[in-house]
Amino acid sequence: MANYELRIAHLYGDLMNTYGDYGNILALKYYGKQMGVQVDSTVVSLDTDFKADDYDLAVFGGGQDFEQSIVSKDLQKKKPELIKYIEEGKPMVAICGGFQMLGKYYIDANGDKMPGIGALNHHTEQQHDNRFIGNISIKNGDTGDTYKGFENHQGVTYLGEGEKPLGTIIKGYGNNGKDQSEGAIYKNVYCTYFHGPILARNGQLAKRMLLTALHNKYPDQDFSKQAAIEVPESY
Amino acid sequence: MSLRSEIATLVGKSSYWFLHTFLKGGSSLPGKLTTKIDPEVLKSMGQDYDVIIITGTNGKTLTTALTVQVLKQKYQNVLTNPSGSNMEQGIVTTFLKAPKHSNEKPIAVLEVDEANVIKVTKYIKPKIMVFTNIFRDQMDRYGEIYTTYKKILDGAKLAPNATIVANGDAPIFHSDDLKNKRLFYGFNDHPELVNNDIKAKPNTDGILCPKCESILHYHSITYSNLGDYFCPNCGYHRPHLDFALTRVTELLPTSSKFDIDGNPFQIDIGGVYNIYNALAAYSVGRIMGVNPTQVAEAFHSNEHIFGRQEIIKVGDKDVTLILVKNPVGLNQVIDMISTDQHPFSFIGLLNANYADGIDTSWIWDGDFERLPKMNIKKFITGGERYKDITFRLKIAGVPDSIHEVQPSLEKIVDEIPKLPTKKVYILATYTAMIQIRNDFANKGYIKKGIE
Repeated sequence: MANYELRIAHLYGDLMNTYGDYGNILALKYYGKQMGVQVDSTVVSLDTDFKADDYDLAVFGGGQDFEQSIVSKDLQKKKPELIKYIEEGKPMVAICGGFQMLGKYYIDANGDKMPGIGALNHHTEQQHDNRFIGNISIKNGDTGDTYKGFENHQGVTYLGEGEKPLGTIIKGYGNNGKDQSEGAIYKNVYCTYFHGPILARNGQLAKRMLLTALHNKYPDQDFSKQAAIEVPESY
Repeated sequence: MSLRSEIATLVGKSSYWFLHTFLKGGSSLPGKLTTKIDPEVLKSMGQDYDVIIITGTNGKTLTTALTVQVLKQKYQNVLTNPSGSNMEQGIVTTFLKAPKHSNEKPIAVLEVDEANVIKVTKYIKPKIMVFTNIFRDQMDRYGEIYTTYKKILDGAKLAPNATIVANGDAPIFHSDDLKNKRLFYGFNDHPELVNNDIKAKPNTDGILCPKCESILHYHSITYSNLGDYFCPNCGYHRPHLDFALTRVTELLPTSSKFDIDGNPFQIDIGGVYNIYNALAAYSVGRIMGVNPTQVAEAFHSNEHIFGRQEIIKVGDKDVTLILVKNPVGLNQVIDMISTDQHPFSFIGLLNANYADGIDTSWIWDGDFERLPKMNIKKFITGGERYKDITFRLKIAGVPDSIHEVQPSLEKIVDEIPKLPTKKVYILATYTAMIQIRNDFANKGYIKKGIE
């Protein structure tokens, strides 16, 4: 296999990093290596510009309430480039707070309505004195893939126009505990409440993101060998 | 003491005597009975003591034990609560058990769970409160670091006359508007780095400036977000250190040598985090009039207080069993074993019961990537969540050829005599540690029960 290079934007990796979401970066590098791809990551944070053209993959983790409130303000500055990145079909995984902030708005722990960047059409409300905590598994109706993880969130999210869920609940609560949906898919953006981390526990999703990124960046190359790599179940 | 408190105390004392004598147990039940009869019993119990409270995420137990030893150098009557009995009822039991004192006013050094500080300060006005650190700890139970700190602050507000002795290297401890007198301890062993400008690793918690919400920078970092921090935006910076670690002389897995305020000390336990615990105990000792020579004596003469890292003899192997419960603690343990000058074997045991934290995600913030660079001849992973820890080590680059997967802890104990090295480290979460200690006991390597 030829040598390829992919660059990850680790969005607010120094602030949105609460429940081992860093493992997603490690998983992308690990599976990338198996595919003959050099994967590098850069933290894009408060003091950094984000340019869609500089990156092939993006990881946006969950964080504590305080950090999330700081990030949600800064995120507005990066909004045009983030929307450009998403609309170009580049792959991103957005978890928990990252998921919420890609939507229209979210209600924070103090009950304040905080704007998202509206790249996707969901919105997030707050449940009172309750959190959804526990092991969760879902099934994606289109691919038949099942995904496993651990959810821990107070926000309840409702999907909007143009979004499909990442999967339907087999066990757990999901987006809002009511409509059996978990996460969201829009173009090549995968949103979820899964920690665990999602890409370490569900290597097939990491592989799919890497393949998408390779096709985007090297449109004339044949990646059938990479596509044929088996991802054994890791959990 | 009111009649009600007297009756409550009497009931508690008799139930403790009964449980202790006939059932060989009883740490929280007597306290439970006593507080049931008189919810304000701590008030009358605590007023006869000079109380020192020690709280924070990591290091409470050892800091408490060291502080007790330090104070014993100067004071005759020093009471403390056993490790783990750090919630309200365990503390009431501690007072119930205390012998009567006639001469000098006794001192009580209490390890208090973060969320229980307010339950104690509601009734007891401590002389000193020690804040060791606040890290992410099984957040499915306790919430976020700011929530935890707020709980401690709410407790401190009820005790405005207490002197707060806080870790000055933790940015969060300098961020509030408490009226209390404040003294800070921290590391100042690299004064030459005063113009250095670095940032913490990406997956570090708590690196926002508490004043202006920019990302903090550092002149030097000891570990995690602890160090000589400053804000490049607003100028907020680490406070002046009243008690400073001035030099680290030697770091080994089983001991550390260092200078505090220019005086040499040694503790018979490894790990930079334990130097912080010693520094906290030193600070309390100095405030209470214990001199540095006495502190050094206290640190040196008490090996048994370092019990959390026990060494178990299994055939010709020296097995060190270490509890890990959160990423910061785990990284400190990884750092500590990296100082071993001999080859060793590594065993990682992961459970995810309530006492371990039911979410295993935290292992991904552990710096396991350092392991393949160490002189480790053999790895074993096990426990109820062996798949998680096995895959974590695989991604960290541990070669399959020297990595064995064995879910059963009992079988792991049988494997130990066959390991290729004399030294063996076992890192285990709480319930995995309890289980493997049982297996060691059943096979006669240690006595039953846990101290």
